[in-house]
Amino acid sequence: MEVKTFQGGAHIPHYKSYTEDKPITRLSPPKEVIIPLLQHMGAPCEPLVKEGDKVEIGQKIGDSEELFSAPVHASVSGTVKEVGKRTVPTGGEDDCIVIEADDGPQEFEMKQIRDPENVDLEEYRKCVREGGLTGMGGAALPTHVQVKYNEKVDTLLLNGAECEPFLTCDHRIMVEKTAELVKGAELMMNSIGAKRTLFGIEVNKPDAIEAINEVIKDRDDMEVVSLAVKYPQGFKSHLIKAATGRDVPRGARSAELGCIVRNVGTTVASYEACIYGKPLIERVITVSGPKVTKPGNYMVKIGTPVGHILNECGVEDIENHKVVIGGPMTGLAQPHLDVPVVKSSTGVIVLPPEMTREWMEYADCVRCDKCVEHCPMMLYPNQISIYAEANMYDEAEEWDLMDCIECGICSYVCPAARPIVHWVQRAKPEIQKRQRSRK
Amino acid sequence: MVSDTQKLIISPSPHLKSKETVSSAMRDVFIALIPVAAVAVYFYHAYAIFLIGVCLVTAVLTELLFKKLSKKKPAIHDWSALLTGLFVAMLFPATTPWWKAAIATFIAVGIAKELMGGMGWNRFNPALFGRVALIILAPLFAFVDEWFAPLAVRLGAVDVVTQATPLAMLNAGMEMPALGQLFVAFPGGALSEVSPLALLIGAAYLFFRKHITWHIPVSMLAAVAILTLIAGQNPLYHLFTGGIMIGAFFMATDWVTSPFTDRGKLLFGACIGILVVIFRLGLSPTEGVAFSILIMNAFVPYIDKVMRRPSFSEPKKQAQAS
Repeated sequence: MEVKTFQGGAHIPHYKSYTEDKPITRLSPPKEVIIPLLQHMGAPCEPLVKEGDKVEIGQKIGDSEELFSAPVHASVSGTVKEVGKRTVPTGGEDDCIVIEADDGPQEFEMKQIRDPENVDLEEYRKCVREGGLTGMGGAALPTHVQVKYNEKVDTLLLNGAECEPFLTCDHRIMVEKTAELVKGAELMMNSIGAKRTLFGIEVNKPDAIEAINEVIKDRDDMEVVSLAVKYPQGFKSHLIKAATGRDVPRGARSAELGCIVRNVGTTVASYEACIYGKPLIERVITVSGPKVTKPGNYMVKIGTPVGHILNECGVEDIENHKVVIGGPMTGLAQPHLDVPVVKSSTGVIVLPPEMTREWMEYADCVRCDKCVEHCPMMLYPNQISIYAEANMYDEAEEWDLMDCIECGICSYVCPAARPIVHWVQRAKPEIQKRQRSRK
Repeated sequence: MVSDTQKLIISPSPHLKSKETVSSAMRDVFIALIPVAAVAVYFYHAYAIFLIGVCLVTAVLTELLFKKLSKKKPAIHDWSALLTGLFVAMLFPATTPWWKAAIATFIAVGIAKELMGGMGWNRFNPALFGRVALIILAPLFAFVDEWFAPLAVRLGAVDVVTQATPLAMLNAGMEMPALGQLFVAFPGGALSEVSPLALLIGAAYLFFRKHITWHIPVSMLAAVAILTLIAGQNPLYHLFTGGIMIGAFFMATDWVTSPFTDRGKLLFGACIGILVVIFRLGLSPTEGVAFSILIMNAFVPYIDKVMRRPSFSEPKKQAQAS
């Protein structure tokens, strides 16, 4: 079997054995959901409900007139308790709609409203927008913007790499919802006008590769691309490079690359939005960590507070732990347990101190070059970190700091425990400011 | 039940961290020097132990002093000072007067490292800098030796210390000992020169622990071998004598003072090899390796600049044109 990959990168312990064999199960609904009005990259929604309003599960409760936006929906039936600021998983506070759930059943009724064999593509695109679909793999772009017809795009690349440690939600979706995934891919491919669909999957998921191959065996427009198990294989630019061999220069648009990358979870959710009219009100989330008693892949309602998830999964002691929403390499550590999971939350990972090694104090760079060896962007994180630490932004820019994808490998391998990604994140807005003033 | 009374840690991603630390790496290099140090002790007995002891103690005291002067926290536990001390000891012959070794260690740790800003900021390999400083300052030692002479420590007779070093024999065109013997263990020269085999065992450990890569040693040794072969000499005698082995595997591969990339490392190693041969065949017969590595240390920022690889995002012009 041919296995494709890219230059650089690192083998990071993947800790997937906690959950990779755990079938998707439904998590009990929380008493209260917190639904942020901005869960995507783009313009926030305006609330369509007010305090005291009754809402039904799946009802649209926020929308925007802006193109770059996606509506939000009630993930439970109940009463709007508050429209106001709450802590969101991307950091800081933002406008949210808090809904108190009714005691009744809280499941969306899956009633087929369209024939999957005969879908009007214009309707499909409308469903994707109305369903509030956004990227579910991390970069939460509104999906409807990306399923428009584009004659220059010949390839739809479905991202099933799932290179982040611990995460197995996409893995389980590929194994358990293979038929819906392939159907969804077909719809998406036709909507974009692409000629072929590639499924990029790391070879540590042989059951997913086999399942998809079985469903697409009679099709000549779909193909599974086996990818080496290496972080960050699932980052868009590296996935494109590995699967299609195409270079991804900075700032290149999908049309120039001839390729659009979509997450497998998004693809299934778009299919369900179109065929069943089901908006994006729940998603599969991997709950994992060495001290999680019931780790697994759970179908969780958007807006469920992290505390509810941890309690349901038998987490007892989190003193001095990190609770991360997303993967452990790029996710965000949460300050408290009332933070909700959103459309782009792939996991809730509980990391003990012996994994985060927060006790390590950082020191000066010793030029060991391990970051240079592993950097998937072919950058010099050592130089960049020295300049960014000292606020020498012109020099940092000269060493291509702006190309950094913040995958976190450099900080992971650094023997001096330098918080390189943190400095990069701090420097980027400063450099952007300078770039704008130069124009 | 989890509750909000439990303290959560918040810090930037990534949230996983590899086990490796600078101190564990330094400690590994220290461990890698133990085989050759053991062979040195076998030949020179108390002389070797005393010399190593003097350098280790001086290194620690120097670091404490300079950290105090610069108002920084001492970091003896990071093994860096101890390692530099051991390196300096390994670069001297066993019967070196202790004050010379102590001064070299002081210069290595205090001036070449701490005054440069501490570990990571030094441009030159500290141990080699200390060793070479003593050679350059030799005239000064005419006086120093006189003052310290009454303090000389005598540790009994060791017959092997007085004989000519293999490198001197090679340069004088004397009949050489068997290659096999030179490779396994043969007394003469600095402590580190007694056994290429022991150095290779240490280097294998460093390689296995991923602290060094093959690029610098291979390109350096290959350059020496090829050039001496062209000069009509037996390359193996050159490789197994003097400081080439410790230079190639332990000194030129120093993290702080070697280039970033594999290509840069290959160039760096090859240039050192060329310089070593020039020193050996044309200039001073001894300490050519130390001078060669220090000279190339100075070129590292330049090598890093010219050998810089393009970013993954850099548009490839040729590919678009074709």
